[in-house]
Formats: sequence, structure tokens, C-alpha cells
Amino acid sequence: MRRLLALWGKEWLALSRDVLGLAVLFLMPAAFIVVMSLALSEVFKGGAARQAEFAVMAADPKLADRLARKLSGDGFRSAPAPADEAAARDGVRRGTPSLVLVVPRDFERALNAPLDGKSTQPQLTLLADPALPPTQLLAFRQRVLGVALALRVSAMMRRAGIAADADAFDLKRAAALSVETIGSSARPSSVQQNVPAWLIFGMFFVVIPISSLFVVERREGTLARLVSLRVPFSMLLLGKVGPYFVVNLAQAALMLLAGRTLVPWFGGETLALPARWDLLAAVTACTSLAAIGWGLLVAVCSRTLEQATVIGGVGNILAAAVGGIMVPRFVMPEAMQKLSEVSPMAWALDGFHAVILRGGGAADLAAPCVKLVALALALFAAALWVHHRRRVLTSAQ
Amino acid sequence: MGTLNLEGVSFHYPGRGETVLDKVTFVIPAGGIFGLLGPNGAGKTTLISILAGQLRGATGSIRAGDEPLEALRRRRPHGLGLVPQDYAFYPMLTCAENLRFFGAVQGLGGARLKDRIAAAARFARIESALARRAGRLSGGLKRRLNLAIGLLAEPEILLLDEPTVGVDPQSRAFLLESIRSLAGAGRTIVYTSHYMEEVEAICDQVAIIDHGRVLVSGALSEVIRDGSGLQELFMQLTHRSLRD
Repeated sequence: MRRLLALWGKEWLALSRDVLGLAVLFLMPAAFIVVMSLALSEVFKGGAARQAEFAVMAADPKLADRLARKLSGDGFRSAPAPADEAAARDGVRRGTPSLVLVVPRDFERALNAPLDGKSTQPQLTLLADPALPPTQLLAFRQRVLGVALALRVSAMMRRAGIAADADAFDLKRAAALSVETIGSSARPSSVQQNVPAWLIFGMFFVVIPISSLFVVERREGTLARLVSLRVPFSMLLLGKVGPYFVVNLAQAALMLLAGRTLVPWFGGETLALPARWDLLAAVTACTSLAAIGWGLLVAVCSRTLEQATVIGGVGNILAAAVGGIMVPRFVMPEAMQKLSEVSPMAWALDGFHAVILRGGGAADLAAPCVKLVALALALFAAALWVHHRRRVLTSAQ
Repeated sequence: MGTLNLEGVSFHYPGRGETVLDKVTFVIPAGGIFGLLGPNGAGKTTLISILAGQLRGATGSIRAGDEPLEALRRRRPHGLGLVPQDYAFYPMLTCAENLRFFGAVQGLGGARLKDRIAAAARFARIESALARRAGRLSGGLKRRLNLAIGLLAEPEILLLDEPTVGVDPQSRAFLLESIRSLAGAGRTIVYTSHYMEEVEAICDQVAIIDHGRVLVSGALSEVIRDGSGLQELFMQLTHRSLRD
């Protein structure tokens, strides 16, 4: 135990003197948490929070006003109509407004035509900014069709002698629909996605200081000296686990604090903390073990500092890109979502989401935690195996 | 620990065909300084690494007294110390922190560790540098710290791999004097160097190896019996062509 404590103490001292390494471990995830929480806040709020401007161009100004009034709301704001279609196209190309609904002269006449399948359908054209999110374009398209249907049904009823205003057929009035999010007191917010995501990313970056010091130890002959002093290689690896486990826990505490204080200070939402701190600690610990295991394998495999930095850094970025850290998994296509299941960062994110977003219990954490711990053990064993295969430690070779 | 007896020791690095040590056989008597000489790439550091337990897979036999060296190392893990050619310590730690760490991993603790750090620092004359970061020391001080670390557990056999490389004449003279005094205290010292005058000055026994083979070994006085000097003998045996 004395030897293990000495190894931990040495690692701790070496790390504490690596200011740049510490900055990467603490400042980088904190910066990502603030920037990404603010940048993605609208995406996580859904359509209502993101305002898109639209204009209605119709020969009849009254019809244009009426349509604009009906289409406004739920994230869509009416803008003045362009002078002509060329101006409308030019404006949409620049994104002001994002959408222009072009209503032809005979639209109202077509609305009144009988629904017998022989009459011409009322024609509408929607000019759309290509930068508009597809979900928002789809929402506006459904909104236009809903308004057109209401106008057509009210015209049909008038023809049948039943007095009915188109407002009566507004989709909102069709039924009272309430949406209830299961398993959480509040809807997942940007900060609830981004704090655990970038915390995990930061935790996996212990790969850089772990492997860098290991490469220096090998290059300077220190590792060979320790082996000659009969320090088992497994103990040398374990000597790196303790200090970096503490570093990972400190990262978790500080990043949660950033979500509580720093993000709201910059104008974002406040992170809602879970009731079960024990479960949060458990998923943090499992993530830490997997991250350290990854660091140890990269350390043993890398012969130079450059190799360690490239393998560790690029590996982390790929795992983050695939695992839903950089881009939330729900916006990925299905094939990518399937692929993301191989990323340990995705397992960790599942674990954090189970605690932070869904208020889950131990059973909900079991799968991600078992996967992370199994990975940690496999990586540790792989590091020992690579060392055993090489057998040669000294620079004498 | 007694005499170190090497018999038919051969070694090649895994995945490489070339034999680095080829049936190396000689005896290192107890309580003296044994000079291991050879040009670059001769196999000196490999042999030292095998003796220190860093490299596995050597064939042949290495015995310390009556038992295999490996068995002895298991029984008395710190009876054999190594001062490697590299500065094998942590440059970001101070000298004191390095000594504390290497002492602790050798099982030293409490007052004994303090005493041993003080003694090793005094011996290597690095007391005034204890609070300084090891990476910022001069070449001579680094060599002395390297030696002090090797002496912490008071090993009976000390392997010194080119301990005077890159130091000024004052530090070299100090190191040689220190090594002589260590041998005087009953330790067995295996010393590798490129500097023939150093070997002639401090070694009782020598072996010259090249291409992994022993060219000559025995008491220094017998090896250079014809009075030509070690340098000439070395050049004669290893030829004068330039090495990599």
C-alpha cells in the first residue's frame, strides 16, 4: 500500500505542476458547457422559442391580412409583404423573411369549387429560406394546409347553408391537447443536455496527461528504473488510477456548478440537479474508470508524445462526435443513432440522462454502468497485454 | 550477495533477428569494481538491463552466489541497485520529492526513509539542491541525484551505466571518488563507461564486449599485462573502424 500511495503522490505532484494539462481538463469543458448551452438553447426549446418571419403575398390585401393573422403564432411572426414575387425571392434568398406564401389571384374561387375531384385544387406556393430548419419548414407547411382546409370547409358549409366562420375550424380548436413529459418535472433543456455531455468529454481528456507523463517516464528511463525496483507493471498502472479518479470527480463537481451558476450568469437556463446524488456519483465513477482505462491503453501504446496526443485527442473527438456529445443523438439519422451505441461516451451520456433528466433509479443506471466498468476492465487488461507483448521497457533497444 | 556468475547469456529483442548478446560468460567477483567496456551498440546497456531485471527472455544462467539471480532478487528485492544511463527521475519534481518517491517505492518509510534520504543526499552532495526541481539542475547535479536515488536502499550490488556521461571534470572526479568509496564499503559495483582512463583508475576487473560477445575478461592487471594500456587493447580488440 505504501508503494501505491507513493505512486499516487508522485502522479498528483506531477499533474499539479502541469498547468496547461489542468487547464485543458477544467477550462475546456466549462467553456464548452457555457458556449454550447447558449448556442443550442433554441433547439432544445422546440419550435415555439425560435421565431421565423413569414410574409403573405396576395392580390387581395384583405385576404393577405387574414391569412397572415391565421398563420401567426407558435414561432411564426408576420412580416410586411414584398412588393412583387421577384422581391419576395430576393428577400427569401437573404433570409428576410424566411418564408413567403404566394397566393394566386384565383385562390378564393378555387376554394369555393366543389370537392368532387373534378375541380382544380387551390394552388399556393411557399418560398422558403434553405437555412430554415426542416422541422420548422414542415411545421409552417402543415400550418398553411390547416388554414387552407379551414377556409375550404367553411366555404363548403356556407354553400350548404350552414353559417360557419373559418376560425371555427382552426386546428387549435379541434381538441384540447396537453403534452405530458414522462419521468421529469421539466422538459430537457439545453443545459441539461450540454452539462453532462461536455463533462463526459472533459473527463475522457485525462487521456492526455496520463499518456504524456507515461511517455516521459518511458523516455527518461524512469519506468525502467521502477521495473528494476520490482514495482509490478499493474501497480504502475494502478498508480495512475487514484489521482485521475479524484480529478474526474472534481471535474464533475465543477461542471455541475458551472451549469448552476455560470450558464445562467451568461443568460442561459439553470441546471436542475437530480434528487439522487448517490446515483450521480455512481455514473460519474463508472465514466471515470472508463476514461482512465482509455488513458492507460493510449499511454502504453504510444511511443512518443505526438502519438499520445493524436491517438488520445482524435479518439476522444471521434467518440464524442459519434456518441451524441457534439450533436445530440435525437437529431442524428437512424443509422447514426445505431452507430452511436458503440461509443462509451454515449453510454455515459445515457447514464447521466437517466439521473439528471429522467429521475431514474439504480435499475436505469445498471446497463450504462455495467458497460462502462466492463470497458474499463477490458482497457486495463489490454494495456497489461500490450506491455507483456512488448516486454522491453528500456530505451536500450 | 557474493559473486555474480554469468554463463552463456544470450539475448535478442523480440521481433528482431539480430542477437544482441551471444553466450556472454564471465565472473564478477564480490566486493570490487567491475568495468564493462565496449563500443556503442556492443550490448553493455542490454546486459545491465538484464542484470537489473528490466529485460526478460535472456537465455543462459546468471547466478548470485549459489542461487539464480532472479531468485535472489525475489528474496531481497532491493539488494541490487541500478543507476541508469538516462536521468531516470521526474524532472517536474524536486530532488527531495524524487528521493522520497523512489525511497517509498522501495518500501522505505517514516524515520528510516528520512535517514536514507539525508544519507544519500549527503553522499552525493546534493543537500543544497534538495528543494530545486530536478529538471532545472546542471548535468553534474542530475548525475549526482541519479546516483543518490540508486543508493537509497543501500544495495549490495550496484549497476552503474555510464554514470559520468556529460558532466564537467569536477563532477566526474567527484563521482569517481564516490564510486571508489562505495566499493571500499564492501559493495560490488558493475561499471560501464566509454572512458578508458576512468576504468583504469577505478576498476579491479574488466570485460570488453563487442557485437554481444566477450572479447576479453579478467583482472585489469592481467588483461593489460603487456603494459600497452587499456585504450590500446580496446582499440586492438574492437578494431579502429567508426561505429554507429
